[in-house]
Amino acid sequence: MSEVVSNPPGRVAEIWRPIRKILREPLGALGLFLVLLVIFGAVFADFLTSYDPTRINPRARFQGPGAEHLLGTDQLGRDLFARVLHGGRIALYVALVSTAVSLAIGIVLGLIAGYGPRWLDNLMILLFDAMKSFPTVMLALALVTLMGPSLTAVMVVVILVTVPGYARIIRTQTIALKSSEYVTAAQSMGASSARILRVHILPNVIGPLVILASMDIPVVIGIEAGMSFLGLGVRPPTPSWGSILNDGFTGIRDSAWIAIAGGVPIIITTLGFTFLGETLRDVFDPRLKGR
Amino acid sequence: MLTYFVKRLGLAAVIVSVAMFLLFCMIYLIPGDPASVALGPRATEEMRAALREKMGLNQPVILQFWNFYVGAWTGDLGEEVLSGRPVMTVVLEQLPFTLALIAGGITWSVALGIPLGCWAAVSRGSTADRIVGILSVAVIAVPSFVIAIYALLIFAVQLRWLPAIGAGEPGNLGDQLTHLILPSLAVGLGWVGYIARMVRASMLEVLEASHIRTARAFGLPDRMITYRYALSIAILPTVTLLGVGIGQMLSSAVFAEIVFARPGVGKLVYDAILTRNFPVVTGTVLVTTVLFVLLNLVADLIIGALDPRVRSSF
Amino acid sequence: MSSIFSKDISRRSVLAGAGAFGAASLAFPNMAVSADGSVLTIRSYSDLQLLDPAFWLSLPEADIMRSIFAPLVSNQSGDEWAWRPVAVDSIEQLDDLTIAFKLRDKIGFTDGYGQMTADDVKFSIERIADPANESPYAGDWSALKEVEVKDTLSGLIHLKNKFVPLWTTTLPTPASCIVSRKAVGELGGKIGTEPVAQSGPYLLTEWVPKQKTVLTRNPDWAYEQGGYEEIHILPIEDPATAELGFEAGDLDYTWTSVSSLPRLKENPPAGSVVVEKPSLAYVWLGMNKDNETLKDVRIRRAIQHAIDREIVVDAAYFGAASVGNGIIAPGLPGSRDSVTYDYDPDKARALLEEAGATNLTVTLDILNQSERLTAAQVIQANLADVGINCEIKQNDSGTFWTLGSKDGDYFMDLQLVLSRFSMNPDPSWATVWFTPEQVGVWNWERFNDADYKALHEEGLVESDPAKRDEIYRKMQDLMDESGCYVFLTHEVVGLIHKDTVDPGLKPNGEPLLPLFKPA
Repeated sequence: MSEVVSNPPGRVAEIWRPIRKILREPLGALGLFLVLLVIFGAVFADFLTSYDPTRINPRARFQGPGAEHLLGTDQLGRDLFARVLHGGRIALYVALVSTAVSLAIGIVLGLIAGYGPRWLDNLMILLFDAMKSFPTVMLALALVTLMGPSLTAVMVVVILVTVPGYARIIRTQTIALKSSEYVTAAQSMGASSARILRVHILPNVIGPLVILASMDIPVVIGIEAGMSFLGLGVRPPTPSWGSILNDGFTGIRDSAWIAIAGGVPIIITTLGFTFLGETLRDVFDPRLKGR
Repeated sequence: MLTYFVKRLGLAAVIVSVAMFLLFCMIYLIPGDPASVALGPRATEEMRAALREKMGLNQPVILQFWNFYVGAWTGDLGEEVLSGRPVMTVVLEQLPFTLALIAGGITWSVALGIPLGCWAAVSRGSTADRIVGILSVAVIAVPSFVIAIYALLIFAVQLRWLPAIGAGEPGNLGDQLTHLILPSLAVGLGWVGYIARMVRASMLEVLEASHIRTARAFGLPDRMITYRYALSIAILPTVTLLGVGIGQMLSSAVFAEIVFARPGVGKLVYDAILTRNFPVVTGTVLVTTVLFVLLNLVADLIIGALDPRVRSSF
Repeated sequence: MSSIFSKDISRRSVLAGAGAFGAASLAFPNMAVSADGSVLTIRSYSDLQLLDPAFWLSLPEADIMRSIFAPLVSNQSGDEWAWRPVAVDSIEQLDDLTIAFKLRDKIGFTDGYGQMTADDVKFSIERIADPANESPYAGDWSALKEVEVKDTLSGLIHLKNKFVPLWTTTLPTPASCIVSRKAVGELGGKIGTEPVAQSGPYLLTEWVPKQKTVLTRNPDWAYEQGGYEEIHILPIEDPATAELGFEAGDLDYTWTSVSSLPRLKENPPAGSVVVEKPSLAYVWLGMNKDNETLKDVRIRRAIQHAIDREIVVDAAYFGAASVGNGIIAPGLPGSRDSVTYDYDPDKARALLEEAGATNLTVTLDILNQSERLTAAQVIQANLADVGINCEIKQNDSGTFWTLGSKDGDYFMDLQLVLSRFSMNPDPSWATVWFTPEQVGVWNWERFNDADYKALHEEGLVESDPAKRDEIYRKMQDLMDESGCYVFLTHEVVGLIHKDTVDPGLKPNGEPLLPLFKPA
């Protein structure tokens, strides 16, 4: 994917321009702020709290939010603030890694479907549609019973859920470009299929795709949290927002702060990425609106 | 139109078949023996073997799939592992709860989404429009299970306005509706955003259309134009959301049914996978997949009817 | 949503006693509710699957069966394990091998199957014992030779050998529920979810799958009447959900998760009574001695010393349960006051060093359930303390219950496992799962000890309580020595009921539905 960069940024201003554009939109500014907040929390988790997110201390269990424990403690006396910050790492890790992998696979499959023979195209579209017709949760459940609960399983689910979407968009764009004049010209000049895909088609489809992927990040974070909520995600004692929420659900009557500590970060993060993604799209590629 | 219809129906059947085949392959690979799970700790080896035999688990996956597939076309989805009740019956018992949940979700999303969308369209560019825009995006983004838990926490646990668990007393419609409010809010809230956005967009388009301008020129009151003429036209495209939405709503339904301890196909299939009650898994997924594909088909057909360009491109 | 079946009771009155009230209340069940309020709503943890005394699967089914198929005897409510006659007028042990019984003369089967006879008793018991029927409960009647019919109502139960647990864990269970020979024959030998020929103080009159089961007083039952006109049983799997439902007023009685007990006791919902009962269950950390990593007994013993059982139990149950010292709960013969290993991390480290085990990594398999998960995380921390890296693997019930099965492909890879077995009030019920025959079945630790097996056999025929006590203690000492077990707790049973309800409960808190009364 390194060849993607079509116009390398030469000047500092080139980097600042899009950011200024985003900041000019209030929604974009808010989104960027929330996303940076979450990233900051995740990256500097170790500096922001001295508590170890996995250190248990049964004597300090179920303490409400206070000076000692900013967000309170859970049923094992673990500091929830530390768990929330470290949970952010997991969420972002899953989101970034699986989206990147999913994009890569989606691009390859989409290009093949769009550029390849008709029967292959039809077969792949059929498979994509069939995958899409399962509810996500079903797919997740089946896969986790297959693989056992782990972060890898979560990522496989995310990839399976998101790849068909990317592949379909790439395919549509590829088909549109295939018959465009410069591609037919390149073909007639004897360029290989691989070269045509790489040089002529890929750079033209990648932009919108990246924006769409950024808008999918909340979905990915939702899947990770949802699976961890059901106990199908991260393995304990690794903190995840979903597993914190699960701890909170168990004691929802008396210790609501646990559920709040688990849920609010999910809301902040999904909102942040969505606001940012929407703004990115509106600013850079209004054509995608209404997808 | 008829050819289009037949083609789409055929395609739908193929998609369902492929989906079911994928499901069978997946199930075949899942570890854990349904016979031991179903029979419990005190079963003998012979009993387990007999049950495996009866369930056809010793056959190759392709044969299991074929038997299921042939049966499914005649409405026979097999029998539940132990009770021997027909899976079709089991699924149809639970389906109404989930359909009610989804219908409730749609009600929420329509009841909130259409007025919001209208309002935004009418006051285009104003603060109200912006707020609706932000709200729409916001509710789409938040995962439904978070909404479910918070709705439970706020309205059932803290405020005690609404019941926390179950589907209500069978036969008591009022009670069942009260039990439906919170879970269907969780399922439907995200769709408020989609609907509001869609209504806003198509409303703007319609308001620009010539006959509305004519109506306006004839001096009909603005309010009447907006709600009588424009809205009735602008609402149509939202139908297409229905097809797309049902799959996601099924996912949300699983969470809503777990959080609110409601019966329903979401909970049914969740439990069935956990207990390796495979006939129920395959049966439920088939029924919901068919439902999903059919609703998509209906949505497509409506678009096809509204927009002839779609038909010819097929 | 209509119910699966709903029967008109008044039509199938076999014997006298169907009053006008009974018929009317069934025709308008909701009116009956509002008229006398005599409905008890309780929660069970699972829905019906098989209502057959020979093939049932879960405790809620057992509770229902003992209400609708009159058992010879049933448990008495209270704090002592005792039985009371239900279908029998008299029952007594004549000698080690013979029990005489005489049925009550006014018990009839519904659906026109006539009076309950000694021949039905013969049928009901022998069908469980007959190996050809493959009943999972054949073991309850393993000592049975035959049931001899003397006349219409009386007969003799003949045993092949002396069988001590008969009066504690065979007769007062569904293994003595009497079904109609004729009715079961017509059904093809097995009852499903629609009971026919019911005979108990209650009748199952309605079942709405996953929603509720309705038991209604049997108008033809001529003996002790159930305390409520109707009992509604709602299947709710998750205890936290059930607690919410109780507080919302949807339930009159439910048991709670153990970990909720402290807060419920401290802060009981208005108008409710929180009850704590001793439990017979046992929870332990098992180690697979045939696993490559754990085959050195020193490593297993090191793990025994590494676990601070007090903290594990306190953390998992929030102080509600206390530490248990074996598989046999206090109050039963063979219950121990202590285990033969103590919490000593230094000793654990020393043992590990001696065994040359450095950088050990083990996997702990658990059921995906919050108390289990909490316990596992404390165990994880304890093990980290002595330098063992422990990974927790949460399993859904479908995967979990097959982990150690020799039919699977994981039983040798299994390392640590956190298990809980429930139990009936006889020590042999606990020891039977750890015999060599059970290796790869329920003995996942693959603990294989011939002495243990011999002691188990001895315990089954020993009737002197003092000697039994000694036998079962010794068996648990053997388990300690194998290094395969860290015994954690017997838990407690927590339950909560409205103060308008006087619940009928076994000593371990399990419900006896016909004995629930309005307070």
